[in-house]
Amino acid sequence: MSRTPAPAALGRPGRIALGLGRDRGAGGASPRTIGSDRRWVAFFLGPTVIGLLLLSAAPIGAAFGISLTDWDLLTAPKFVGLENYTSLLSDHRFLMALRNTTFYTLVSVPLGLVLSLGLALALDQSFRGIAWIRTAYFIPIVTSATAIGLVWMWIYAPTGGLLNQFLVALGIQPQRWIADPFWAMPAIIAISVWQGLGTSTIIFLAGLQGVPQEYYDAASVDGAGRWRRFRNVTLPLITPSLFFTGILALISAFQIFDQVYVLARPGKPTDATITVVYWIYENGFNFFKMGYASAASWVLFGIVGVLTAIYFRSQRRWVHYQ
Amino acid sequence: MDRSDVSAGRLRRSPRLVAAVALGVFALIAGACGGASSSPANTTIEYSIWGDPAELASQQAIVDAFHAANPDVTVKVTVSDWDSYWTKLETGLAGGAAPDVFAMDGPLFPDYQSRDVLLDLKPYIDKDKYDLSQLAEQGVADFTTADGGQYGLPRDLNVVALYYNKAMFDAAKLPYPDDTWDWAKLVEVGKKLTIDANGDGSPEQWGLYTETSDMENYWLSLVWQNGGDVMAPDGKTTVVDSPQAAGGVQFLQDLIYKDKILADPSVFVDTGDAFEQGLAAMEVNGSWLVPTHIAAGIDFGIAPIPSGPAGRFTSVNPTGAVVYKKSKSPDAAWRFVKYLASVEAQTKLMELKAALPVNKEVLNGAYATSFDGAQVFADSLAYARLKPSFPGYTEFNTLLQGELDTNVFAIGSDGKAPNKTAQQALSDITPKLNEFLAAR
Repeated sequence: MSRTPAPAALGRPGRIALGLGRDRGAGGASPRTIGSDRRWVAFFLGPTVIGLLLLSAAPIGAAFGISLTDWDLLTAPKFVGLENYTSLLSDHRFLMALRNTTFYTLVSVPLGLVLSLGLALALDQSFRGIAWIRTAYFIPIVTSATAIGLVWMWIYAPTGGLLNQFLVALGIQPQRWIADPFWAMPAIIAISVWQGLGTSTIIFLAGLQGVPQEYYDAASVDGAGRWRRFRNVTLPLITPSLFFTGILALISAFQIFDQVYVLARPGKPTDATITVVYWIYENGFNFFKMGYASAASWVLFGIVGVLTAIYFRSQRRWVHYQ
Repeated sequence: MDRSDVSAGRLRRSPRLVAAVALGVFALIAGACGGASSSPANTTIEYSIWGDPAELASQQAIVDAFHAANPDVTVKVTVSDWDSYWTKLETGLAGGAAPDVFAMDGPLFPDYQSRDVLLDLKPYIDKDKYDLSQLAEQGVADFTTADGGQYGLPRDLNVVALYYNKAMFDAAKLPYPDDTWDWAKLVEVGKKLTIDANGDGSPEQWGLYTETSDMENYWLSLVWQNGGDVMAPDGKTTVVDSPQAAGGVQFLQDLIYKDKILADPSVFVDTGDAFEQGLAAMEVNGSWLVPTHIAAGIDFGIAPIPSGPAGRFTSVNPTGAVVYKKSKSPDAAWRFVKYLASVEAQTKLMELKAALPVNKEVLNGAYATSFDGAQVFADSLAYARLKPSFPGYTEFNTLLQGELDTNVFAIGSDGKAPNKTAQQALSDITPKLNEFLAAR
């Protein structure tokens, strides 16, 4: 792969991604920056911090309070202690939702990372029109989940669906996809991976373009082939992007909701694809069990929090900051 | 949940729906701005409904007529699709800012009434000496509580009957369905009308279409027609695992997998109603589909639902109008609710063809001849029973229907037959349902 300077289209935003976690090292900040600019720091961070406190931390805290009650949204909440949490442990529908979500995460996250890294490598070229091609891969992200759901509904339709027509043309037995409890989750995963491809690819692309050309030149001089250059130069240097993409993918995978809601909610046509967030929605807004739904939110929050903490701790072993 | 089941049809119309909602919001804003300049005696109330643009237009016409007769009250209509309607309502109620008057589905009524957000209209009824007997009993009953409260008036009724495609019957030289039809006849004719000309195993024309995803569409009627029931007479436990009830559900499973006159639910889950698309010769479903089928250009007739071993039963489910307990204008709200059930409003409602009027004068009068088949709907009230309605219905239904969807109606894990028979599934789920009911 011959390296050329990054095209203007992306303007090397790789530094942004690479900047994550910089605080651990000596960093590039000169001694005067923090001290004299403290007011500016406060000025710029203030709105975000206030927003986080008011719109995220407060509701999260309130949800914990609610999770200790029996509350139907309208009549006065009744304190029940940890009862909601203990009930969750024996709620087979919740456990099924948790199982489905875990399966979804375990498959979709690695698959998404591998595919988007591959795509980023393929797109890390410079020729006329590359910016358009890159943009094309980003389109799913700015398209509404409902519109995407409708298109995929057509792709997966058991009769006359695009995918089945394709299979039949190849002489393969058509499948019922979403309607089949076995295929439903893989079908949802395929949509999500496709939909998330753009975000991860952009980050990887930025990471790739942050790798100095001299390293590749040096490796080539040492006789490294394509694979060795990828394995020993590219991969270590884009670990910050990999780390960042991984964490985003992990968190959003646990929150899978819209594809399920549009395409495969219970009754459309089976109960096989219920996920934790769908379960929370259903209990809170259909069954009026706000306390119970909040408890499940906290369980989900806990799971995601623990996994994120483990993931963060692991970074010193495999993430290399330049 | 019946309305959500036609979602595929609704989704296709969604841009218009969005536009309608946007218009409604605009009207609300414009109205709020205009309200300030009108006379202080003018009361404004908000009326929320679920539905599509046609239903909004129909309800708007009723509201306009109400304005003409009651210049001191302004009613703003807001419409949402079925799913967002309930989410918005919940949010509004929780925030103490719900619409003054809103539409209520019969089975969901107890969940709201028991949470003390609805106004008891009994004092208003007594004060006005309003005669409830002018309305169909089945409609009134769903909004009456055990202690004699009346927390709403019915607005319309929905029943289930048999639609048939005249062209397909003519092509097969078969007589149209009538009131002599029973289960056996449905299957017999259904087989003749299921046509797989190219022999690929998936018919180009199905004998029957229905929705399996809610009890109201068909299987509730089948349970009754087989001598079973969903709820015990005291309404505190479910008896849906009785051999009679299971037999009714089994008949529906057999229509798919044994008689093969009905497609399995996956076939039309994305594209919607096969009858509307001209892909099925008959459909057992609700009276609300008439405008949809007309719009689709189907030349159809309506016959009574076929009878079963224990007789002919269909389900009736009223939509009501209820008043928010914290409404600032309960008097105006009551006048409007009363108006919705009046002969004048009900005649306008009738013209939409989407529901049966609840006012007896209209129901037993002009309605029967308002379109071909209306008489069948009106007559069916004689053998119609109310869809179950009790606190916790939504969750109960989710558990029960989830079991049936996954294990009885859908193709199972072997890719050929369903996982369980109706009896197995209902016996499996009943202890869980009764546990749920007991915990409430």
